[in-house]
Amino acid sequence: MRKFLPLFHSLVVLMMLVLAVPCGAATMVDIYGAGQNKINLAMASPLTGPSQRATALGAELNDAITTNLNYLPFMRLTSPSAVLGGTLLSAWQGAEVDFRRFQIAGADLLVTAHWPNGDRDNSTVELRVFETYSGKFVFGNAYSGVTHSEVPNVADRFCDDLMEALTGARGFFSSSLAFVKGNGRKRDVWVVRATGRDLRQVTNIPGAAMSPSWSPDGRYVVFSHMDDSTHALGVWDRMNNTVKRVRFPGNTVIGPCFLPDNRVAVSLSTGHYPDIFLLNRQFQRERTLEQSPGIDVSPSFDATGTKMAFTSSRLGSPQVFLKDFTTGTVSRVSMEGSYNSEPCISPDGTLIAYTKATPSGFRIFVHDMVTGYEQQISFGPGRDEQPAFAPDSYFVAFTSTRGGSSQIYLTTRHGGEARKVPTGAGNASFPSWGK
Amino acid sequence: MKSLKSFGLVMVLALALGMGAGCAKKNAEVENVEPAPVATTSAVEAAAQQITDGVVYFDFDKYDIKAEYRDMLQQKAELMKQFPSIRVRIEGNCDERGTQEYNLALGERRARAAYEYMIRLGVPADQLDIISYGKERPAVEGTGEAVWAQNRRDEFNVIAR
Repeated sequence: MRKFLPLFHSLVVLMMLVLAVPCGAATMVDIYGAGQNKINLAMASPLTGPSQRATALGAELNDAITTNLNYLPFMRLTSPSAVLGGTLLSAWQGAEVDFRRFQIAGADLLVTAHWPNGDRDNSTVELRVFETYSGKFVFGNAYSGVTHSEVPNVADRFCDDLMEALTGARGFFSSSLAFVKGNGRKRDVWVVRATGRDLRQVTNIPGAAMSPSWSPDGRYVVFSHMDDSTHALGVWDRMNNTVKRVRFPGNTVIGPCFLPDNRVAVSLSTGHYPDIFLLNRQFQRERTLEQSPGIDVSPSFDATGTKMAFTSSRLGSPQVFLKDFTTGTVSRVSMEGSYNSEPCISPDGTLIAYTKATPSGFRIFVHDMVTGYEQQISFGPGRDEQPAFAPDSYFVAFTSTRGGSSQIYLTTRHGGEARKVPTGAGNASFPSWGK
Repeated sequence: MKSLKSFGLVMVLALALGMGAGCAKKNAEVENVEPAPVATTSAVEAAAQQITDGVVYFDFDKYDIKAEYRDMLQQKAELMKQFPSIRVRIEGNCDERGTQEYNLALGERRARAAYEYMIRLGVPADQLDIISYGKERPAVEGTGEAVWAQNRRDEFNVIAR
């Protein structure tokens, strides 16, 4: 027996390698193109052995993955009741997997879950994805040390892996939103996973927080803060969980936003119109980024930091503009309508989402920087505003009063059905993506 | 002798009354020259109330001071110059229709428009503060132009007197 142990270990290592390397992981869903397609995915029952259903952690993990995948607008989950013969399989990989029953149910992809040592606490699970028509292995991963409390995190990691294998983009399931929650004059900064988990309050100071922005390194959330007599830049330091208020001459602090290099741009008023300034790493004013004979607010940067979208009233009414720091040129982006504001440029620099006043209220529009084509991506009712592109340049979070109170919703660069992010009781607004 | 005593008593009383009257008259003259502290406080209070009472209203997405409010601002400016202990926070506000960040900037422009007007009228800068509340603190809740018109405003809050 002992001489077989090294062989067994080698096989385990080999299996892990095979699981970890995506096979044929060419992009299957083009989430950025105009012709967005849908993909149908079925979940097989989790197994501890051939035809042996995993009913403890296995069932929990399958539920968590299903909940997560419902956030992907391009994913359509096949109902287990639509699978003739049921979803319990005699195998989790290889020729014994009965793909045909899933084909008939209309699934393009099948996920199998195998718990080789049972699905008790601190177990390992192997998750594999196959094409149902060819039986081709798409990708797989083994996740060890799975406990009850770790199930949601394992589901997030698998779903990020799956989304990357299918689309080339990852990060949605491991990302968080900073946002503002509260009522009236007392509003604080909270954070929550984009899928609604890990909701927690990070500031608790008298006054109203607005416009949070998460630093790319994940350490800080800055926000504008207003009490009865002052404006300030609020800074939450995640490392030591402290909050400080930084005051500026002119007593006006509006819409701070991090650049990719972890510095902050913010609108301050120093006697002139509110202009956009760059702060140094001690959050002190360094230099002017943009000024005009008009209001300049709401800066937003692409991932290179060379493009800044912002709102300006330099031509009269508020409109969206783009500054290219490589050439120093400023160009107008929004051409139609008399009130366009709150731009958010996608990290890949290709799109600008902004809030437009329409006859039926504020709605979110997306402007394509290459073609100039504009598309409405939110449709109310109520007010839709404060769009925020996710790091993948695909998801867009925004604030809407469609349900009565102000809440945060998710949609994509293509629009489509918006999904509410659970943030608990109280008004929620100003979503900002972070790690 | 008794009548003489009575006469003397009357004289003393009369003198005492006369002195008393004289003192009262003298006090009255002093009051006329230097106003008593009570009178000063009420004057400042009256000035503070007058400064607070007048609200400046704006058109949608505008921050220019309309002609109809210039006399009011001049009156406030005169009172502030007369009572240098008074400090005023000019609070710029917007109606609910705009977006929050732009409205914070618009409220700042409204507050600063009144601030600059009063500075030009000679009010020392250290007597004035400004803040924009954007659309966060409406005077009147609701929708419709009648409501919005009352929320696009500068309020003048006396923070020291």
